[in-house]
Amino acid sequence: MKKSYLDYILRNRLPVTIFVVLASFALTYFASRAERDGVGYTPDQPINYSHKLHAGKMKIDCQYCHVGVEKSRHAMVPPTATCMNCHTVARKDKPEIIKLTEYYNEGKALEWKRIHKVPDYAYFSHSVHVNKGIDCVACHGEITQAEKVGQVQSFTMNSCLNCHRSAHDRLPDLKNINKGPDYCWACHR
Amino acid sequence: MAEDLNGLNNTYPNPPAGEAGYWQSFEELYNDPQFLQSHQDEFKEGVSENFDSSGMSSISRRKFLALLGASAALAGTACSDYRDKGEIIPYNKKPEEITLGKANYYASTCTACPNACGILIKTREGRPIKIDGNPDHPVSKGKICAQGQASIMSLYDPDRLKNPKKKLDRRFVDYNWKSANDEIVFDLMNSGGKEIAIIAHKIVSPTAKKVLDDFASKYPSTKIYSYEQFDNPIRNSAWKKCYGSEEFPAIKWNEAEIILSLDGDFLGESNNKIENARLFSEGRDVMNKKFNRLYVVEGNLTITGMAADYRMRLRPDEHLNFILSLINELNKKGSGIPINMGGYTLENISKQFSLNIETLNALVSDLLKNKGKSIVYAGDHLPEDVHIAVNLLNDILGNKALYNFESAPVSVLPLSASTELNNLVSRMHAGEVAVAIHLNSNPVYHLPIDLAYEKALSKVDTVISLVEVENETSDLSNFVLPINNQLESWGDAKTRTGFYSLQQPVIAPLYDTRQTEAILLSWISGDSSTYDESIYHKYLMSNWEQNIYPVLISKLNFKQFWFNSLHDGIVYSQDKSESVSPFNLASASAIKPAEVSNNFSLHIKESYAVRDGRFANNGWLQELPHPVSKVVWDNYAAISPKTANDFGLRSNDLVEISTGNNSLQIPVFIQPGASDNSITIETGYGRKNGGTVGTGVGFNANTLINSAAILSPWLYSDVKVKKVAGQYKIVTAQTVYAFNEGLTKDLPAKRGIIKEGTVNEYLKNADFLHNEKHELKSVNPFYDYKGVKWGMSVDMNRCLGCGECVVACNVENNIPVVGKDQVDNGREMHWIRIDRYYSGTPEEPNVNNQVMVCQHCDHAPCENVCPVVATTHSPDGLNQMVYNRCVGTRYCSNNCPYKVRRFNYFNFRDHFKNGFQESPVFALLMNPEVTVRSRGVMEKCTFCIQRISDARAEATKDKRDLKGSDVRTACQDACTTNAIQFGDINNEEEEFHTYRNHELGYFLLEELNIRPNVTYIAKLKNTDSETAC
Repeated sequence: MKKSYLDYILRNRLPVTIFVVLASFALTYFASRAERDGVGYTPDQPINYSHKLHAGKMKIDCQYCHVGVEKSRHAMVPPTATCMNCHTVARKDKPEIIKLTEYYNEGKALEWKRIHKVPDYAYFSHSVHVNKGIDCVACHGEITQAEKVGQVQSFTMNSCLNCHRSAHDRLPDLKNINKGPDYCWACHR
Repeated sequence: MAEDLNGLNNTYPNPPAGEAGYWQSFEELYNDPQFLQSHQDEFKEGVSENFDSSGMSSISRRKFLALLGASAALAGTACSDYRDKGEIIPYNKKPEEITLGKANYYASTCTACPNACGILIKTREGRPIKIDGNPDHPVSKGKICAQGQASIMSLYDPDRLKNPKKKLDRRFVDYNWKSANDEIVFDLMNSGGKEIAIIAHKIVSPTAKKVLDDFASKYPSTKIYSYEQFDNPIRNSAWKKCYGSEEFPAIKWNEAEIILSLDGDFLGESNNKIENARLFSEGRDVMNKKFNRLYVVEGNLTITGMAADYRMRLRPDEHLNFILSLINELNKKGSGIPINMGGYTLENISKQFSLNIETLNALVSDLLKNKGKSIVYAGDHLPEDVHIAVNLLNDILGNKALYNFESAPVSVLPLSASTELNNLVSRMHAGEVAVAIHLNSNPVYHLPIDLAYEKALSKVDTVISLVEVENETSDLSNFVLPINNQLESWGDAKTRTGFYSLQQPVIAPLYDTRQTEAILLSWISGDSSTYDESIYHKYLMSNWEQNIYPVLISKLNFKQFWFNSLHDGIVYSQDKSESVSPFNLASASAIKPAEVSNNFSLHIKESYAVRDGRFANNGWLQELPHPVSKVVWDNYAAISPKTANDFGLRSNDLVEISTGNNSLQIPVFIQPGASDNSITIETGYGRKNGGTVGTGVGFNANTLINSAAILSPWLYSDVKVKKVAGQYKIVTAQTVYAFNEGLTKDLPAKRGIIKEGTVNEYLKNADFLHNEKHELKSVNPFYDYKGVKWGMSVDMNRCLGCGECVVACNVENNIPVVGKDQVDNGREMHWIRIDRYYSGTPEEPNVNNQVMVCQHCDHAPCENVCPVVATTHSPDGLNQMVYNRCVGTRYCSNNCPYKVRRFNYFNFRDHFKNGFQESPVFALLMNPEVTVRSRGVMEKCTFCIQRISDARAEATKDKRDLKGSDVRTACQDACTTNAIQFGDINNEEEEFHTYRNHELGYFLLEELNIRPNVTYIAKLKNTDSETAC
């Protein structure tokens, strides 16, 4: 029997096309996953601030700046005035500090690029997590080693639930935590 | 409405025999087929189907959106960094008291009306988002009225005037403060001895009065007028004639065993209604088995009438007749009241107005048995003679003991008598007034039209209006100056002896506005450049330092004292009320028997929602269902069923009502329980310039008020009523969920939705409600709720049906206003509603009010039917609604037996009044802890999950377990009578446990075995005189 053009399409062309489409889809899906979840996002900030220097080397407590973290939903990015507590005297000659002082003196808004974000309809609370004894590092990574802050964990609902459902395994140091809530209104309302 | 409303047309029908069921409207009671047809489905005909797309444009909306979306997506991915998440912009210098995400509370004083209740303002990140009562305030004790709750919306009203305006060539042009002030000061200086009239509402602030006094000494031809359309001048003048002191005292309702109210709506409308309701409800305490007895004789069904144990209908102009008959009857029994009015007997009045003679006899014996423990109270609108007779009756029966002289009302500046206002207007007409200054008052709308205030203003050289939102008076002014909202203002108030209260701003003025007193101060200085923002703040402080602080004998220095006082919102003082002389019998002997006509009587009342019209631009209040009739967005002439029959009238028919020369066309509404041949109309509607929301809503009943009224400005005896052609659609919120056909006939009674009894029954057998016991079995295993499980209880003995909880819920949970047309479609969005059930006959209905919220059933029927699992159950017993999952099938609402779910048919913020609520300034009003829902999702009561989450976070912070008492819902906070309780079902040590397990408690539709979690405590009527305790 003579091979028809149709046979050629069915046997060769079609499977190859389907394979290519599926493969490229799968490849893109997995390859871009971190990027879609925001993992690795490390934007340039208006002031080149180093957590490694301040929190790591100088061991300034996180809550010196992020004052809301134990009290409120929001950890709070510190007001410029907090920086000026030291920098009215310290390192006044450095270009970044000169920039900072300018912001402060002119009362200008300092627009830090946002790195971590959960959607508007998720009401994440820092205070609950911190007061349960969960370390900042658990979600934000080794911040004391970070010259420039980027996102290290995925902040999707899936990642929240992964930890909530097996908190005991993930945070073995915390003896009195078994499991975080996993009902809807724990986060959404 | 259907033409063949069985019976209602010609002859007066009796309700279907032998059925003592509950009903919500006439149409339901008489099985109007069209009504039943239109209400048997959940959604009205045409609301959710039969959508005709043929009239649409050829590019369908969907296609258009697809194109739009595709191009936007293309542009978006091509040109943007999709990982960008925006910026975080911290404060440059953060105010010390602010923690992002945490609310701050500031004590202040509400000046939305002259009652000056203490308030606690909740602010988030510096913007006020909710107003509640200040628990430390000795009078209001942590509660405020619905208007106070809703007044937060007035701060963010997009209609607020944003800069000064001046009228040039009959048009308003934007102006600046400096030129406006300079020109006004010039006019004031050059008034040439002609009068400068300041027209204000009631002044309750001692410092504001001082400013006015200073103004008067700077400009000596100044006269100050203050008026309130609804106040109690008649009560006060009667009191003065009887006892010689100025102000009628407050009443200790909690100590009264027997209360008789003569058309006096002390729970719904009086100046002290918050205090009254709280004290009254203390006498309705099923927990301690303490029951007062309330007799109400009234013309139309009111909030007080709904709470009555015995209610009698009597047209308001017959109350003198009634009280004199009552006095004669008491005299017959030897109480010796020195009034001698022959001819009045209870027997006659009972025959003439078909009042139940047994009830009247019970009243007489109750009053005699409870001397010194009973109180008789007459309505503000009743003529002076009634008040004098009532005062005398209370005096002789020893009921003076119930007057509260320790915390007596004080007036900083007495209201102008009506003659003074009449004189002002005639001087204006004569051109003897150079400047008229309106301090946020609206006399064009409020004053009787026969005074022709509008015309009088045209003879005044300079007319100035200081307003928040433009009104009818500012329209006729030369200068319109924008003033601060109460939340942007400083102030103080003195309403009672024993304390002062303070007002502080919680936000800087949103627009280029100034505070009233500050504007006056800059005019006093004569140089507008002296103005700065703190001018009145400094004035207030120095007035306190010099005049008030020294009298208070504080141990603190003034600075400490001042900040302490601001923190508390109130300051206690030692001042006493003036002494009361013995009853002056001469006043009683002057009582003249009333001549009563057989024509209609007319009672003009203040609206329960928008008061005298000053809250007309507040959508939350316009949409608050009337406590009795459930009508929204309108006023109407309420008439009795019999009168409607006699005149062939039906609800929605237009009538023309005339008092003397004044007349008004208004629709009628048949009100069960109204007295025959009497009309009741609420005012505050029919505003010509009341802002985007308030303009043109309802009918202006002020046009019926006569400046030379015989009985009182609010009561007319000889009123003519004429039916005119035409109909007007009145919309009620309740008949949306009528059920009354076939199997569902009489559902409320058969299914025990309303359970009630008498005090007598209860005292004999506390468990009488649960005589029939059923064991409910289920094929499903029960979930074992560990830890906290939330529940609510509603004490129907205490619930008045006032609607404060509804407004509080609206504010807390970002509920949109939907408009009259959408309420008519059954699309109102209130998460909490108050179902009002009538029972008995339409003439003498008995009323039950039932607060209805999501019952958070353990086996919630809504959860089973959701195809996308958007509504599920939480381990603390809450029925959760997840907006993001909802696709809008509405199955849940269909399967909810309580009909508490609400669907967003539109983005109502966008839909109502052309996006009025989408105005950027409204975004500031929203509670940031509650999602703002958009079109296409279902929503419902959450038991204030945001407050629960907050309490849980606090408990975690303090390293303790969450307790039920840590959480208070918004409705619970707002309820004046504490009818709503909330707590942990599993904790047996908490107070809530006693409510949850009360003998009178029952669940709605318990037999469905869906295990609802709202306990209703059945209402008891205290009707048998033998058990009076």
